[in-house]
Amino acid sequence: MRSMHATGVPRPRYVGQRLPRRNDGRLLRGLGRFVDDIELPGMAHAAIVRSPIAHGIVRSFDPSAVEGAALVLGPSEIDAATHSVPVLWTLGVQLQTSTRVADGRVRYVGQPIGVAVAGSRYTAEDAVDQIVVDFEELPIVADAEAALAPGAALLYPEYGTNVLSAFEAGDSAEHTDTVFAAADRVLRHRMHLGRIAGISMECRGIVAAPDPATGTLTIWSSNQAPHAIRDAVSEVLGLAQHRIRVIAPDVGGAFGLKDHAYDDELMVCLAALRLGRPVKWIEDRSEHMVATTHARDDHVDVEVAYDDDGRLRGLRLDAVRDTGGQFAIFGGGPLFTMTGMVPGPYTWDAVRSTAKVVASNRTPLGAYRGFGQTQAALVRERTVELVARALGTDPVELRLRNMVQPEQLPYTIRTYITYDNGDYPTCLERARVLATQFPPAPDDGRARGLGYCFYVQMAGIGNSTTNQLIGLGIGGHETATVRMEPDGSVRIYTGISPHGQGQETTFLQVCADRLGLDIDRIELIANDTNSTPYSAYGTAASRSMPVGGGALVLAADKIAAKVKAIAAEMLEAAVDDIVLVDGAAAVIGTNVSVPIARVAHRAWQGFSLPAGIEPGLLETAAYDPVSATFSYAAHVCRAAVDRTTGEVEIEHYAVVHDCGTIVNPLVVEGQIHGGIAQGLGAALLEEIAYNADGQPITTTFLDYLAPVSASMPDVTIEHIQIPSPHTPGGMKGMGEGGTNGAMACVVNAVAAALPEIADRIDRTPLSPSRLWELLQSAP
Amino acid sequence: MTERRRVQLVVNGEARTIDVDVRTLLSDVLRHELGLTGTHVGCEQGVCGACTVIWDDNPARSCLALAPQAEGARIETIESVAAAVAVGGGDTGFAEGAGGLGALHPFQRAMHELHGLQCGFCTAGIVMTVVAAERAGWSRDETLDALGGHVCRCTGYVNIRAAVERAWQELGLTR
Ligand code: FES
Ligand code: FES
Repeated sequence: MRSMHATGVPRPRYVGQRLPRRNDGRLLRGLGRFVDDIELPGMAHAAIVRSPIAHGIVRSFDPSAVEGAALVLGPSEIDAATHSVPVLWTLGVQLQTSTRVADGRVRYVGQPIGVAVAGSRYTAEDAVDQIVVDFEELPIVADAEAALAPGAALLYPEYGTNVLSAFEAGDSAEHTDTVFAAADRVLRHRMHLGRIAGISMECRGIVAAPDPATGTLTIWSSNQAPHAIRDAVSEVLGLAQHRIRVIAPDVGGAFGLKDHAYDDELMVCLAALRLGRPVKWIEDRSEHMVATTHARDDHVDVEVAYDDDGRLRGLRLDAVRDTGGQFAIFGGGPLFTMTGMVPGPYTWDAVRSTAKVVASNRTPLGAYRGFGQTQAALVRERTVELVARALGTDPVELRLRNMVQPEQLPYTIRTYITYDNGDYPTCLERARVLATQFPPAPDDGRARGLGYCFYVQMAGIGNSTTNQLIGLGIGGHETATVRMEPDGSVRIYTGISPHGQGQETTFLQVCADRLGLDIDRIELIANDTNSTPYSAYGTAASRSMPVGGGALVLAADKIAAKVKAIAAEMLEAAVDDIVLVDGAAAVIGTNVSVPIARVAHRAWQGFSLPAGIEPGLLETAAYDPVSATFSYAAHVCRAAVDRTTGEVEIEHYAVVHDCGTIVNPLVVEGQIHGGIAQGLGAALLEEIAYNADGQPITTTFLDYLAPVSASMPDVTIEHIQIPSPHTPGGMKGMGEGGTNGAMACVVNAVAAALPEIADRIDRTPLSPSRLWELLQSAP
Repeated sequence: MTERRRVQLVVNGEARTIDVDVRTLLSDVLRHELGLTGTHVGCEQGVCGACTVIWDDNPARSCLALAPQAEGARIETIESVAAAVAVGGGDTGFAEGAGGLGALHPFQRAMHELHGLQCGFCTAGIVMTVVAAERAGWSRDETLDALGGHVCRCTGYVNIRAAVERAWQELGLTR
């Protein structure tokens, strides 16, 4: 038996393999099934009526000129037919805990206020053009600064303020003051992380199909959390959950944007129910840029206290998040996460944040890859480089001097979060070695600089009670069901909702090893609330592997235990001597075995089962993690900047990281590449801009620059694998890591290339024009 | 009410006649009139490249053309790139999941082997550009440059470039 260790314990056959993804074939052939590919008999098409102004009250909504529409719903009808949408994260003093689908006010350009349904998308859009809406315009609150100015117009007069929530995190003011007073020096800087859009390549979309015969509603939508969509549809439309089925078909990217039901999608569901026929709505790109949640737009004032010898002492943040016209599902969560994770890998004496989430007449912010942890890394790692610069020391040495050492782990940081395990210094030192291997810079007149970022990422967020304690209204566990069929083939049912991350392959790898099966004998069932276990998150927060995978390991092990018990009886051996390997249950150290298929057949027929064993092979396990998991990485890159144009090229890039046990390096590397592209985009290219009237001026891919192939260097990746002490299977999670590391790494590299302006880099993106302006005004 | 028009074109080698509203985009004709949903629409602004098809041997953005403009055109979509293979037969790898991997173009195969796709939404457009480039005898570097006309939000492009390189090597196009 080649797949045994000498001890007789099966060696993992699939975990750790660079297995190409098993679902690629149909996507490569054009046989994917995305939401706009769905055609149903009798289906009508919706278009959304959106606000053309940034702030106002709807005085009238007049569809009388509309010809040929099956249905038009305006704000008052929608408001009367819907309950409020809950905000699922409550932080500190929070005034907004739910929002109305249509309350007769508009607070950003693009806000949905009505829906028109017709025979085709073209005619539905015609109908929208024929609706006459009259607004009473209100003074515009252009951004967070305007929102906080004395006498500012209020988006919600009933709150008496534009501050939707305010909270503190970390150490007390007194303790922090003491630490700052005792330190040799204090340095201050500001950072505004520019507003960006997540831009999945597939925009949002939904097909809502009521079945009047059964009183059920089936929804296909481009989403990453079908159960969360069902929760919202149930709550807002007042339908029982067992009458709603939500399916995520193939989904063309989500990145956090598609983690909840949007108001326009709820309007489409309402219209379908009213009409008693299927209705499809597909968002277009211009809508996506104004109506799908944005990200970042955090303004952070930073103070750092440190000693002459390079010891980091204290970190104090005052942060404002410009959250736009209303809270989306997770409210101010990203800002809270930033304040929690900002300490990073260093041993501070004090870390304290004060934070405000402010409403303005901009598109609402929502979840996006990184969820505050990208911001935490940028703020901290930029600060560390500024301290190194002030001291004239090497920034890598400064980091190493202040790092949590491996023997200090588990280590509780100043914000009460306990890191699990790892070796941060080795990780950073390896990145420094990889940087020495970048090819020598050509003599082309461009300025060059190396930038680093080290982050620790909270992944595998949980457990459920911790979520509850921090005001997060969803549990942190996952559930998996494993069903071995009578022929020994297996189906896995998961609440995780894959849409490009490869779980159709990686979950099979995990399961195949636990059950000693060939991977071709296993299939993943996901993305459908009718067949999968409840999951509040779906695929999000880098938790598919550490939490969803953890649940899978537990459920597969239950099946394995049952198979072994039955096989032991069949083979007249002790249960503890049975191993599952190569499709058979074998007695260890012998050549006595029975095919697992025969065991499965016996289990389902119920023939001669051992005492106390129920027929069948169907097991479910919930995994509520003991703690979150903490992956980490060092990123390093080299920037080349043309001082005459401000243009930046990231020439070389290397990553050393630890995400615990790696199930599939090919997939992990792909996640890192894609994450880096998004962090690099936010650092250099991407920016949602508004004019003074609150009109968005970046609504096409010509104005909003997403990274293209030429923007992205190749990436050298080195894996460290220190298994998680908590997760069954050892995985730590890493889907957001690339983004978390890249933004700071790229900004630091540009700053290193341009020392004359390094102190004055205070906002992203570092577009050519912004850098050029800074360079022109350099002393 | 807008005017309707009869349009004749050849799609994936088959002569098709359609009767459409004159303002219908070619991308919508392919997807919703002809059921060829492998062509994706990412922007309808002519920028992202997701909707790329081959039009008389050149890559073209199907979201930028109105149906009547395609009168007499020869259009190829992603559905025509890999030979159709019967379900469950030969090396479709039915066990590997629906769609299988049989008869893929060398670039498609390299995309699979090197993990050049994640959500797969941008993929069809990229494949059409690369296939057109190969046919036109473009060098590896010209083809890598042509990737600049495509936005992919998932992969960071690294593995897509590697797939072009591998395909060009396999095809013996090592210029
Ligand atoms: S959909 Fe045609 S270029 Fe984007
Ligand atoms: S694979 Fe998702 S956009 Fe390219």
